[in-house]
Amino acid sequence: MALIELQDVSKLYGFGDATTLALDEVDLTITKGEFVAVMGPSGSGKSTLMNLIGLLDRPSHGDYRLDNKAVARLKTDQAAKIRRDTIGFILQSFNFLPRLTVLENVALPLAYKGVSLSRRTKLASQMLERVGVQNREYFFPSQLSGGQAQCAAIARALVNNPKIIIADEPTGNLDSSGSRLVMELLSDIHKLGNTVLFVTHNPELTRFATRVVYMHDGTIIHDEQTALGQVAPKARKVLYTIPATSEEDDLEGVSVMMKAFPHKEAPPPKRKKATDKSTRRKKRSVSRRKKAS
Amino acid sequence: MPHAHLRAGWDSVRGAKIRSFWTMLGIIIGVASVITVVGIGEGIKQEIGGQIHHLGQNLITVRPAQLLNGNSAGSNSPDLIPGFSISTPLGIKDINAISHTNGVTASAPLTIVGGAVRGDHGMYRNGFVVGTTSDLPGLLNQSLQYGSFFSSDSYDMNVAVLGQNASNALFNEDVPLGRSFTFHGQQFVVEGIFNQFTTTPLSQQANFNNAIFIPNQVAESLSKNTAPTYEMLARPAAHEKASAVIARLKTALDQVHGGQSGLSVQSGNQDLTASDQILELLTRLIAGVAAISLLVGGIGIMNVMLVSVTERMHEIGIRKAIGATNRQIMSQFIIESGILSLIGGVLGILLAFFADFMLRTFSSLHPAISWQVVVLASAVSLLIGILFGTVPAIKAAYKDPIEALRSE
Repeated sequence: MALIELQDVSKLYGFGDATTLALDEVDLTITKGEFVAVMGPSGSGKSTLMNLIGLLDRPSHGDYRLDNKAVARLKTDQAAKIRRDTIGFILQSFNFLPRLTVLENVALPLAYKGVSLSRRTKLASQMLERVGVQNREYFFPSQLSGGQAQCAAIARALVNNPKIIIADEPTGNLDSSGSRLVMELLSDIHKLGNTVLFVTHNPELTRFATRVVYMHDGTIIHDEQTALGQVAPKARKVLYTIPATSEEDDLEGVSVMMKAFPHKEAPPPKRKKATDKSTRRKKRSVSRRKKAS
Repeated sequence: MPHAHLRAGWDSVRGAKIRSFWTMLGIIIGVASVITVVGIGEGIKQEIGGQIHHLGQNLITVRPAQLLNGNSAGSNSPDLIPGFSISTPLGIKDINAISHTNGVTASAPLTIVGGAVRGDHGMYRNGFVVGTTSDLPGLLNQSLQYGSFFSSDSYDMNVAVLGQNASNALFNEDVPLGRSFTFHGQQFVVEGIFNQFTTTPLSQQANFNNAIFIPNQVAESLSKNTAPTYEMLARPAAHEKASAVIARLKTALDQVHGGQSGLSVQSGNQDLTASDQILELLTRLIAGVAAISLLVGGIGIMNVMLVSVTERMHEIGIRKAIGATNRQIMSQFIIESGILSLIGGVLGILLAFFADFMLRTFSSLHPAISWQVVVLASAVSLLIGILFGTVPAIKAAYKDPIEALRSE
């Protein structure tokens, strides 16, 4: 049974000359109970795809059927209600309201549904117990470790009992133990019959997925089923085809990129928060440009 | 559902106490000033009203000057040279005419006698000496604390009745009955002391607490008939209508003065309309200014809320991502500014009560804060919050969730 059906979905940003094509006629069908990993370089349209599936955004063209309902042209408030009832979002940087306690944050989606205070506190508390951070429920989000915070974020995504869990780089800000904690939790949720979509840069994490979708420049270039517990073959290839930059490259720094794109100006320096991630991205983009040339 | 919004709004107010306070400050000051100003005006009006009530609605005053009353357009004559309209002074003939007019049960002149009064403490400077008759206490509805008012038997004797302030200023004793003071070189024996007269700011009545009352006959003889009678008080008989008696008095006085006296004959209420009008005007003016400050307070709320919407873009993004509708976001922000301004209003009311207390303690004003004004001020402040909170709330509600999530 198809839960998510995308047909010829395109997403354009900007106007006139500045138009960018974030998604280019994407077809994607996801059935209930799948655990889909979405991979691809930065700017390949992964997040746009997630936002469209999560009804945070509307496609410029194409059809989207969610649970056999046409949702591509919904009004914002209708979309918000479907988002509230059927979709749980997990975002890279946890995204808690800093002035509310963890428990209050987890209970928030229920508040928008109109659940009474005592009931939503109870439900949120149960959900926090399920993800294993119940002992932190009266802490503020800033007092949690990354892994704990992401677990709490998963609890918030789950509290409305959604059909689909969408996680946009859930492990992007976490160390390896935090990543494993979060992925195992997502895996548990999947085993209970939920549909989970997640975006990742880490090929190792395709181990948890039943299906891997590769994106590039707004299109799906490869789509494969994988066995649980195994790193997807193509993902492994992606892992090994990323050329490691040598120490010399590191020393040369920006001039390497200049060489990669001799006919273009040096790209403006990107402003990124996490330094480890930015270096990783830089390396990857450098390798891509090398490949392109 | 609404209480969830209330909670969200309250959480946000609670979370940013300092910012919330600055937001509320305009409303606090606005509400406090509106209530205080209206309270002061109301207080004064009540006192004037109380005085009229105290004197009795039907007390008639006769004065030698036409009061220019702006109330009736016909009698308003602002082009007159000042003083030109002033009639002949009240004299003995007028006094007799008034007291003998049909329907007047009691009447008393008030004649100012110049001259120094000397008591225990030397000269008494703040007071004044008034010649009058035995009807005065009844006309003023004022009882005596000690002794008695002089009767018609002692109209040719040097007796006096004192106001409280005069009594305290002239003598060391608390009850100086039988003591005497010097006036125009003659000894006057104190026969009675009035109870405290209620005084009213802006009232045209002289402060009788400072007055020394002596028989009118003695006053006239002391001043060799030069002392001016500045006012005659008269009370119509119970069965007579005040207006009928006033008409009769006018005719009688006109006869004395050969057809045209120009004396003003008014009942107690009319007497106070002029000061009442000025007061009304002042109250409205200041209340208007205070209302402007409320408006400014509202604009302040709007500005801070606008800034807060920009600051909390990320929060809006999160709330939308987890399923908040535009409406819910909008309600949250409107409720938040409503809460802010309502709290501001309540604090303003408290401040107004404090100001009221301070005014009562350190000035002669007695502001009257009515519950209607308090309720109105709270309602207006809530309304302002909702009204001025709408623009920022709409701004917040229609943010693109992705853009909002991305902003930090």
